[in-house]
Amino acid sequence: MPVNLGLAHASSDFMVAALLIYSLAVLAFAGDYAFGRPRRAVKAVVRTAEPAAALATVGANTAGAATVAEATAAAGTGDVAGGPAAPAAPGSATGGAGLPARPTGAFRATWEAGPWIRVAVMLSAVGMLAHLTAVITRGLAVHRAPWGNMYEFITALTCVAAIFFGYIVVRYRAWALGVFVMGAVVIALGLAETVIYTPAGPLVPALQSYWLSIHVTAMTLSTGIFFVAAVLGIMYLVAEWYRKRVAAGKAEPGNALLERIPTGAQLDKLTYRTVIFGFPIWTFGVIAGAIWADQAWGRYWGWDPVETWAFITWVIYAAYLHARATAGWRGARAHYIQLLGFASLVFNMLVVQVFITGMHSYAGVG
Amino acid sequence: MTDVRTPQSKPAQSPAEGTGEVTGPFGPNGTDATESGGGGTSVPLDASAGWLRWGWRQLTSMRTALILLFLLALGAIPGSILPQQGTDPASVQQYYASHPALAPWLNRLGLFNVFATPWFAAIYLLLFASLIGCVVPRTFKLVGAARTPPPRAPRNLKRLPHSTTYDSALPPDAAASAAAGILGAHRFRLRRPAAGDSGQWVSAEKGYLREVGNLLFHLSLVGILVSIALGGLFGYKADKLLVQGTSFADTVSALDETHFGRFATGSDLAPFRMTLDNFSASYITSGQNEGQPSSFKASVTYSATPGGPSRQGVIEVNHPLSVDSVKVYLIGHGYAPVFKVTGPGGTLAYEQATPFIPANTATMLSDGVVKAPNANLGFMGVFVPTAISDNGTLESVFPAANFPVVSLIGYSGNLGMNSGLSQSVYQLDTTGMTKVNGSPHVMLPGQTWTLPDGKGSITFVGVQQWVSLAITYDPGQVPALVFGILALAGLLLSFFIRRRRVFVRAVPAASGAGSIVTIGGLTRTDASGGFEEEFAELAFEIASTGTAPPGAAAPVAPAAVTAGDDNPEPDNQSETGA
Amino acid sequence: MFKAKRRTVVAVAAVAVVLLAGALAVTLTTGSGAQAGVSYLNGNPAERVYTAGDRPLAPDFTGTSLTGAPIKLASYRGKIVVLNFWGSWCPPCRDEGPTLAVLAEQYAPKGVAFLGDDVADTPANALDFTRSVGITYPSLSDPGYLIVQDFSQVVPVNDTPTTVVIDRTGHIAGMVLGKVSYATMVTLLSDAAVTR
Repeated sequence: MPVNLGLAHASSDFMVAALLIYSLAVLAFAGDYAFGRPRRAVKAVVRTAEPAAALATVGANTAGAATVAEATAAAGTGDVAGGPAAPAAPGSATGGAGLPARPTGAFRATWEAGPWIRVAVMLSAVGMLAHLTAVITRGLAVHRAPWGNMYEFITALTCVAAIFFGYIVVRYRAWALGVFVMGAVVIALGLAETVIYTPAGPLVPALQSYWLSIHVTAMTLSTGIFFVAAVLGIMYLVAEWYRKRVAAGKAEPGNALLERIPTGAQLDKLTYRTVIFGFPIWTFGVIAGAIWADQAWGRYWGWDPVETWAFITWVIYAAYLHARATAGWRGARAHYIQLLGFASLVFNMLVVQVFITGMHSYAGVG
Repeated sequence: MTDVRTPQSKPAQSPAEGTGEVTGPFGPNGTDATESGGGGTSVPLDASAGWLRWGWRQLTSMRTALILLFLLALGAIPGSILPQQGTDPASVQQYYASHPALAPWLNRLGLFNVFATPWFAAIYLLLFASLIGCVVPRTFKLVGAARTPPPRAPRNLKRLPHSTTYDSALPPDAAASAAAGILGAHRFRLRRPAAGDSGQWVSAEKGYLREVGNLLFHLSLVGILVSIALGGLFGYKADKLLVQGTSFADTVSALDETHFGRFATGSDLAPFRMTLDNFSASYITSGQNEGQPSSFKASVTYSATPGGPSRQGVIEVNHPLSVDSVKVYLIGHGYAPVFKVTGPGGTLAYEQATPFIPANTATMLSDGVVKAPNANLGFMGVFVPTAISDNGTLESVFPAANFPVVSLIGYSGNLGMNSGLSQSVYQLDTTGMTKVNGSPHVMLPGQTWTLPDGKGSITFVGVQQWVSLAITYDPGQVPALVFGILALAGLLLSFFIRRRRVFVRAVPAASGAGSIVTIGGLTRTDASGGFEEEFAELAFEIASTGTAPPGAAAPVAPAAVTAGDDNPEPDNQSETGA
Repeated sequence: MFKAKRRTVVAVAAVAVVLLAGALAVTLTTGSGAQAGVSYLNGNPAERVYTAGDRPLAPDFTGTSLTGAPIKLASYRGKIVVLNFWGSWCPPCRDEGPTLAVLAEQYAPKGVAFLGDDVADTPANALDFTRSVGITYPSLSDPGYLIVQDFSQVVPVNDTPTTVVIDRTGHIAGMVLGKVSYATMVTLLSDAAVTR
């Protein structure tokens, strides 16, 4: 079936639109850093349900998103945990006194995080829609799953990363991560659109298999998720570096930018949860790839360079998981391992697939 | 596996606890794991046994596992960067040619066949030994833990990471029983006070599947290794180049290349026969992807056993043919121009479709030789499927045989085929031969080239196609898949199930009727998140079984809420992740 | 608890020892020794003699010769048959051709029939070769290795050239894996004449 050029062009247009909208979103996130209301809402990232907090009789401002410790501090300084979040849990402070409260609404909290965040999140959401439309129309244009070459793979995985980030924002109120994650998405998407762009076309016979939808989809998803984890890991290292400097007296603790990043401990936890979300998907992708390799090449594992690097990546992420359970290897060291794993993943994607000949040379680049 | 101490100690474990009942919220289990490399606590050991024991502990420690994982990843790197003997021996030869000094040293280190070297094997065997040495004791421990009931509820639940208190209208025993009912409905394992115990409490525990998943994952890795070994020992792989219209029987002499596992021999080959009836390759003829292949299809007739019924089959890329227990794959294709060679007297010396090997898979420009030893003639040639002349050089612009042309250089003399030494069918040994023509002779289909001096003639009759097939047998294939799926299942279980405990204590209310109920909960590791919500939901449900008197001030335990929040490892024993 | 750890260590060690021993045993016992009833000429495993009583039955084949005439093994019962697997593209086969031609002529009056099985070849190429070295006995045209496969089930026909000597009762009495020499063939033919 010939390529539907109209849809292919539409896909490119939507992709560029997504890129522009994401860039504006990054600006808005940055604007919140620079000009937004100071708040400690980010400390609420990891704790959602505070039943005891709901029972606190300290003001109406402290229920829901804030920890009680923050609440006691907040009551003193006037800081507000993202605005009066208590109304989001109507049954909490009032009628059901004595009953633990249900978790509070995330969208509400986002809305109340300030105008910059509101704009940034809305722009991100619109950008995600455009991005998703671009990916889908590309697929419709070429009558197959739209991850058959490097360009399509990158655009799809950045879409996954963006949507996964959206989930984190909603679940953990992690607006402060916006600049970094969406910034990285913009950079990756920009690279894809300029340097790596491949026009829409059919697949070579070796890729004409329903396993494409399974194996490459899984790799796309897990790469997008590891992408987010890598950004979080870098942020962790920055947060820890800053904290140490403050502790050593080398830096003023009032630095607004770095104050807004979640604490190292929270980033550490968030990174871990992201990695354990992506790791099984990567494992599944490798298994699906092995099944497909058996169908196409006659053996399920042949130490083809891309296979080998996928294995290396898997081993490094496994090392990260083991490191988190080993004394002396937690903290920064574990994050270095995680970043090494992502570096190996990127190396596999951009260098091994393109420059080292093997059976995986379908990048379609150059 | 050496067990890990968390940097901070849990408040519940502080001596100020003063209950004497438990040494930690997870009971004595939490502390028995604290012995580290110090090899037993009180028993003096024999020196050599002590060394062995120390060595074993080191091998099965997490740190060693970490180091071995790194070594495994590191060791695999040269296997992906340098050409490997097993997959691309031609590139290895090329590497030797371009790096004559370095290559022998790399070879001594085994870097041209990394995944079969002893040192790589040593790494993963040690890793698996460490894995087994860790997993087996933990299995016993899990079985033991599954058999012991949850520990008694700590006296002061407010010191746990999650806790809440509410007033209940029910008396303590009823409140506790109601709580037990709720927890039981959520499939927690329960423990109630024994007869004679004071106080009303419930102890509930859930999430053993986490450790089951962990062990399942690790043991499945062992299973995968065994499956790979099985395939490597008893399996085999073979290649066959088959010209359109010809057939072959699956026997060692017919196959071009065979690779047998250690315990597999030629008699293990499945005795099938196959004829290539037709091969069609279609390419995109226009647009930006012109020349890109769009499909490859080989139609075959085969019989699984000699004299058995013959069947039709189709082999395509991604669609191998299953014959008996083996699979036949379409790996490559090419052109076999048909030549007729006559000798000096005009006698027919050669007539055959001659496979030419593609030098460029995009344009299918192919090289080959024609050997007619009885006429003392040999030819080296280039086959161009869709030929154009670009300033005198022949180029192929499209991979289909739209305008086929051959270009030959002829040699006459002794081909050396009677000397008895084997020669490659695709190479002509021109020592002892003289070139017939100065520049290559170009021929279209049907044309004949009569050689000078009555040496003979060659006719380019037409073009056939050939396919290369791979025949594989791997008995470890299905077991590897099964273990892979089990490993994935184990991984998911171990990541997303938390081992957690919930305790409920009910004491009589000061006002007489009703009781004050405290609910506390903690997880072994909360790193995967979600326990806060679960605890909140459970607390809500339990509390809903008894309502508070209206207007009563709700007592609160703010301190407990924040205790140890940011510490992801509330316990001594390391259980994170895979 | 301490005892439990010692038990697990012992258990694991025992399993490892058993596995290692098994692996060793398997490795050592395979790949050795010929089957019963086979002996090697001069210790050369490429030249095999099957003692009478232990001779495998040769598969009965039918086929067509290079010139199109039908050939059946059963029709040679009562004669010793030398079956030579060859191809005109195979240098060692070409090398031994003259030797086979001479032997064929020499043993024809003694009730020995020579047959060729021409594999992966065309009649034109093959006939051209046989003519040039003076081989007059017929060869089967077997481009697809079908007869080779039949024989592979019984004796190791792994490459060309391979020569199989079949006795008067249709059983395989000897074989040469590779090029034949005159002396070896003489020995094999006299052994084949022995039927008990």
